[in-house]
Amino acid sequence: MAMIPKGLEKQLNTLDFALSSLWRRKLKNLGIMMVFSLVIFLLGSFQMLTGALTSSADAVLENTPEITIQKMSAGRQEAIPQTYIKKLNSIYGIRAIIPRVWGYYFDESTLANFTVLALDHNAMPNGSKLNLTLSDGHFPKKTETGTAVLGGSVQDILELGDRRVFSLFRPDLSLKSFQVVGIFSKQTDLLTNDLIVMNVDDARDLFAIPTSHVTDLCVYVANPTEIETIAKKIAGLLPDTRVLTKSQIQKTYQVVFSWRSGFASICLLTALVAFAILAWDKASGLSPEEKREIGILKILGWETGDILAVRFWESTLVSALAFIIGCTAAYIHVAFFDASLLKPVMVGWSVIHPPFKLLPTVTLADLLLIFTFSVLPYLGATVIPAWRCSTVPPDSAIR
Amino acid sequence: MFLNSWSLGLTLAGLIILVLGVFACRTAIRVLRHWNPSSDTNLQITLENEIWLASTLVAYGLGFQILTLVLFVLAADTFCQVIVGAMCATGALLANNFGMPALLVKIAGVFLYGFWIVLHKLDISSETYPLVKIKYIYLLLILPLLFADITLQTLYIAFLSPDIITSCCAVVFGSSAETGRNLIVGFSQTGLLFLYYGSIIVLAAVGIILLKRWLLPLAVVFSAGWLWFLGVATVAIISVFSSYIYAMPYHNCPFCILKPEYHYIGFALYFTLIPAAFFGLSTALVEPFKNRVDLAGQVTKYQRTAIKISLIFLLLLAAISSYHYLLYKISGGES
Amino acid sequence: MLIELKDTTKIYNQGKPNEVTALSDVSLRIEEQTMICLQGASGSGKSTLLAIMGCVFPPTSGSAAIAGKQLSRMPDRFLTIHRRETIGFIFQQFNLLPRLSVLDNITLPLLPLGISPPERKARARKLMEHLSISHRESFPAGQISGGEMQRVAIARALINNQPIILADEPTAHLDSRLSMEFMQIMADLKKEGKTIIIASHDTLVSEHPAIDKIINIKDGRIHVP
Repeated sequence: MAMIPKGLEKQLNTLDFALSSLWRRKLKNLGIMMVFSLVIFLLGSFQMLTGALTSSADAVLENTPEITIQKMSAGRQEAIPQTYIKKLNSIYGIRAIIPRVWGYYFDESTLANFTVLALDHNAMPNGSKLNLTLSDGHFPKKTETGTAVLGGSVQDILELGDRRVFSLFRPDLSLKSFQVVGIFSKQTDLLTNDLIVMNVDDARDLFAIPTSHVTDLCVYVANPTEIETIAKKIAGLLPDTRVLTKSQIQKTYQVVFSWRSGFASICLLTALVAFAILAWDKASGLSPEEKREIGILKILGWETGDILAVRFWESTLVSALAFIIGCTAAYIHVAFFDASLLKPVMVGWSVIHPPFKLLPTVTLADLLLIFTFSVLPYLGATVIPAWRCSTVPPDSAIR
Repeated sequence: MFLNSWSLGLTLAGLIILVLGVFACRTAIRVLRHWNPSSDTNLQITLENEIWLASTLVAYGLGFQILTLVLFVLAADTFCQVIVGAMCATGALLANNFGMPALLVKIAGVFLYGFWIVLHKLDISSETYPLVKIKYIYLLLILPLLFADITLQTLYIAFLSPDIITSCCAVVFGSSAETGRNLIVGFSQTGLLFLYYGSIIVLAAVGIILLKRWLLPLAVVFSAGWLWFLGVATVAIISVFSSYIYAMPYHNCPFCILKPEYHYIGFALYFTLIPAAFFGLSTALVEPFKNRVDLAGQVTKYQRTAIKISLIFLLLLAAISSYHYLLYKISGGES
Repeated sequence: MLIELKDTTKIYNQGKPNEVTALSDVSLRIEEQTMICLQGASGSGKSTLLAIMGCVFPPTSGSAAIAGKQLSRMPDRFLTIHRRETIGFIFQQFNLLPRLSVLDNITLPLLPLGISPPERKARARKLMEHLSISHRESFPAGQISGGEMQRVAIARALINNQPIILADEPTAHLDSRLSMEFMQIMADLKKEGKTIIIASHDTLVSEHPAIDKIINIKDGRIHVP
């Protein structure tokens, strides 16, 4: 047998005893562990959901143009003439201006809301990369009218199956038919699930937008540090428009998002405090039986430090087990049940988004954060009660 | 940026450490005022019990501190996503004047709490508790550091706003002369590698000699050497090894190697370097306690263990740090 | 000399209004391989004397040398370390952990010594065989008979091969047959070289032929009739 150093063997013995001690009080410890697992489960679901949503948000922003121009009339958005592009030619530093039709199509028969996006993707700076997001097919070419690319759930809702042709209603209720030339891949579900991408001309036809008008103009800027200046110049040249920069969108988004996550964090912190109080209470409430047991151990030659070590192992075992159970349950909750318990709180835009698959990416960092929120307060809350019970005097066993 | 789970997590951990520290210091004050080993009063018995409390609190504090150190770096890594211009933790830490000091104070904390625990172990190994006063004065001196730690961290988070444009690691640590903010200039790679491996060999040799025969001046050299090596190794990791790990010649960052993309190899590097340096450094630091009553044997025993541990970690560090470098050299530039 | 007390005094709650002098100026010497019976009414200071001889706490003043170590001013931690190497305890209520198995109860003192499970088991089995309780090895200690509990307690007091055995009213919960059995085991242990101190009112103990000396405590002092 391999030689194990005395110090380590002693720790193993204490661990062994801690295990049997937990087992002897399984009812009490199981109760604590269940509550603890639940707290970790909530924290973990929340953290994993936040992570999944953040990555989706980043993906949204990645494809957002640096500047978006929308025409305003009576405080409401209306179609913008494409001729405005020419007015901006004088501004130096603009890489490209792309007209875009972006709107929502409400399908009355299925009560579903689809996002319709139409732009010349070849004109976008990273346009060629977009083909990678398709599981098969290609984007509608500029000359190809009557074609569309669909997101996964659009295909399902329209019950297309293997058919490649579908129709949508114009505002005057006449039908416009489309040929499906591509399907978005599952990986981009978050963004493309409810999306129909088509030609600008087809979109105008579908929504009855006047010729050479679009819903907004996307401005791509070469140097990020010039975005603000260029935005100001555009606003000066086109006084009847609203000019949105990417960072403004990002900030609005961030404010809403961090308010929500902060609010949820604080709610969870309250739960955590309640749990810490429970842990403290459970750990400090020494039953006469426990007190007697510690007295016996101490008179038999257990040091105060040994009792502390037993308590440490007990806390560690309980919290480690609760951590594993809680995190696993949270992963299952987020990955397989779409975080159904927390989603209403977190996803403001779920109203417009049809259901999408959340894919939590669990990194060491996330686990460490969950650990900090759960195990750390627990260990911190049990250290003083653990010490208190370890100071039971040995002579209590002979009195 | 307080309404963010990372900020909240860091603050929570900081507060817990602070509470533990304050409780430990309460014991410290009581012990310094009332400690009287020759009396048999209830107070003395309580104090003897409280010594256990203090040491447990500091031990927990050390564990938590190591955790928050990692958490802090990882938090900075996520903060960089909302800070314009920052692409990794370096950028996020440089986003205001409190990031780097907070990090350094946290690292210093790990060393100081660790050393307190060493002192404590030595102290309770003797029936007379000869270091009791020194130990608790030292503990009280750590308390301001704890406050500094949480203050810097809070200031860092408070002043962290997404508007500030900061530099990323490519600018700060990169060898390109784009800006004047080059932290590591004037080290040629070969010279640095020579220093790094030279120091490893010298430290190993000195350590082995010390294990065979104890020579005080050599022990001082050994500990001082570790302080030096801590610096050299950090610079070497940043400016040489990291770019081999990233397989990109101009990517030199001390934090990105902690990411899952690089198989968390940074943790292996830092978690061998820091304990190795700690034990190496403490070898000579405990020397003054040798002439205390019946502590000489324990101190010598500790020093031998410390040297052995530091040498084992040194070997591990050398192996882990060289792995990507050798892989790159052997495979002829491809990895 | 295995146990040597000189002017040993123990005062509880020193300097407080509820100060109690439990033991005053007790001097005694106990040699190796002897068996002593300690007598005294409750509140006489008998338990305090037993605790000092058992290295549970140090005296307030005077000296107490147990197995070559001065207890005075020894911090709690070192008292504990000394205690587990020197003293085996047998208590009135046996003080077993009822839900732990007999084997685990016997090996409790070995856990903080860093002794590996196989060695612990081996040592305990040897003692259990000797005390003929092997068949109870995996029974919870709360579910065996009083006589068996007593034997488990004896095994536990012997497991670390301590030179001194302290027994506090060990026969109080046993009938006379079991008490005689217990005294027989003690007498055998004395022959093997142990020093045994039994605090007891029981005449079966004090009149047992193996007892070398009876010490009587009254009002915190050794009473010489």
